[in-house]
Amino acid sequence: MIQVKHLTKDYQRVKRREGFLGSVRTLFSADYQTTRAVDDISFEIKEGELVGYIGPNGAGKSTSIKMLCGILVPTSGDVKVNGLIPHKNRMENTRQIGAVFGQKTQLWWDVPVIESLKLFRDIYKVPEAQYKRNLNLFNELLDLNEFQNTPVRQLSLGQRLRADMAAALLHNPRLLFLDEPMIGVDVVAKERLRTFIKEINRDQKVTILLTTHDMTDIEKVCSRIMIIDHGRIVYDGSLEQIRAEYGKQRKLVVEFEEETEDFSAPHAALVKSEGRKKWFAFNRFETSPSTLIADISSRFSIIDLAVEEPEIEEIVRTIYRGKSESPVMEAK
Amino acid sequence: MKIFWSFIRQSFQLVSIYRFNFFAQIFLILLRMYAIYWVWRILYTQKPGAFGVDLNQMVTYGVMGMALEMFMWSRPQNYISRQVKSGAIDTDLMKPMDFHLQMLARSTGETMIGILLALPALVLAYFLLGVSLPHGIGTGLLFILSLALGFLVLFHLNFLLGALSVVTLDIRHISWAYYSLVRFFGGQMVPLWLFPTFLAVFAQALPFQATYFIPMSIYIGKLTGTEALQALEFQLIWLVALVLISRLTWNWADHHLVVQGG
Repeated sequence: MIQVKHLTKDYQRVKRREGFLGSVRTLFSADYQTTRAVDDISFEIKEGELVGYIGPNGAGKSTSIKMLCGILVPTSGDVKVNGLIPHKNRMENTRQIGAVFGQKTQLWWDVPVIESLKLFRDIYKVPEAQYKRNLNLFNELLDLNEFQNTPVRQLSLGQRLRADMAAALLHNPRLLFLDEPMIGVDVVAKERLRTFIKEINRDQKVTILLTTHDMTDIEKVCSRIMIIDHGRIVYDGSLEQIRAEYGKQRKLVVEFEEETEDFSAPHAALVKSEGRKKWFAFNRFETSPSTLIADISSRFSIIDLAVEEPEIEEIVRTIYRGKSESPVMEAK
Repeated sequence: MKIFWSFIRQSFQLVSIYRFNFFAQIFLILLRMYAIYWVWRILYTQKPGAFGVDLNQMVTYGVMGMALEMFMWSRPQNYISRQVKSGAIDTDLMKPMDFHLQMLARSTGETMIGILLALPALVLAYFLLGVSLPHGIGTGLLFILSLALGFLVLFHLNFLLGALSVVTLDIRHISWAYYSLVRFFGGQMVPLWLFPTFLAVFAQALPFQATYFIPMSIYIGKLTGTEALQALEFQLIWLVALVLISRLTWNWADHHLVVQGG
């Protein structure tokens, strides 16, 4: 569905000088500064996949999605979406893709949602039967009929995003880009959007690329995860794989009977200490929890114990910071 | 061209939303019509033969100019600049429809509504201020044709200003000067034949007279026969030129957006 090879994008920005005189000088002679937003990335997404695309702010996610949408021309490298080169066949490409950008809406701000949908039906030349079928589907899955006659500016954020989802899927695209579609949405609304995303992926076989900062989205929705940082793909693999690769770290939480001095145990480091509670981090391949517990309990009396597995969020944080225990690898 | 109808239908939605705005607008038009009516009446009592047409023609010209103010209600340039600033222009570029055409369809819808809303004011002016109808069906049809060309010329001027906002981001300051230029050199209030020679030369060369002056002069019977046809030709030539310039400019703006990322 998507093939990306050695994709690179450089931005040329005017380098601004400081102060008043500096800005006057910039008017006449501008220095350009090149920043590399996307740096030689390659990946492939097959039909029907639901891929989580994550990375810190400014990592190059939106830039790469724009290139897949054909609204940004790559500096070098190849992009192919369903056989088309997006920026060369932008119009044709738009017919096979849909996109929701959480930060901006494509709906008309002042008119009822349904009117915008009718306009998009005409722009995309969606046949009447298909249009009706899709509206029924959106009513069923997104409760579109609850707010379809309300102007967009009066919708809650959750409703607006549901309406935007409907607009993006109206022409039955084969591929859907969701760029932070759940930003600022409450827990309940989030849950239904997640369910909706999973359902259209499963039932309609729409390939989906989902960008988010919420790791719960990834855990609940995606089967595969790609992590991008500083314009490079630093991880690409399944959710289980990432846990296995990066999840060697465990934490042992011990509550002691009385307050004790800080101490360290063999192969385990004290990471946090709070009253009678202490947290020890250890690598599960270097030592086992039972050895650690045996060692600690032989010296102090323990009243409670727990072993914590790392959250996906913590793993991702580790990868962002570049402090991964093992060198960066491209799984798969 | 079904898509144009879709955009027009969409614009109709806006009417009910901006109800108050529109009624206020119509009231304002009426006030202005009344004001221009009196200005010309007083001037004609001072110097009846000095203005090239009779009082009734001049009043009709003035009143029409106020009604056609609604022409300017559609401002695609503001839309483009807003979309560029917010980044939402991406969603426009991702439609399977040429952006220039999208804007034209949008503007057509808005302008139709604008004219429709000016109609009640015109009807009132017909009964209260003695505005006259065009002489004969032929003049009427010529006027409608000229008005359509006028709209298209104005749209392309607006569109070009909008395309400029792709690099400048903000066009508010330019807009203000721009509207004055269109109104003044377009002859919205004062017909071009009353301009002093040096200004008239300017005004003849600029495309602005294609927006208000030519349709309105045809309407009141100042431009007739070959002159009227020549005026239509002038509009058409400018339109073709502006379409070409708009295409080139938007290609450049689009390139700017997709290569440099806005």
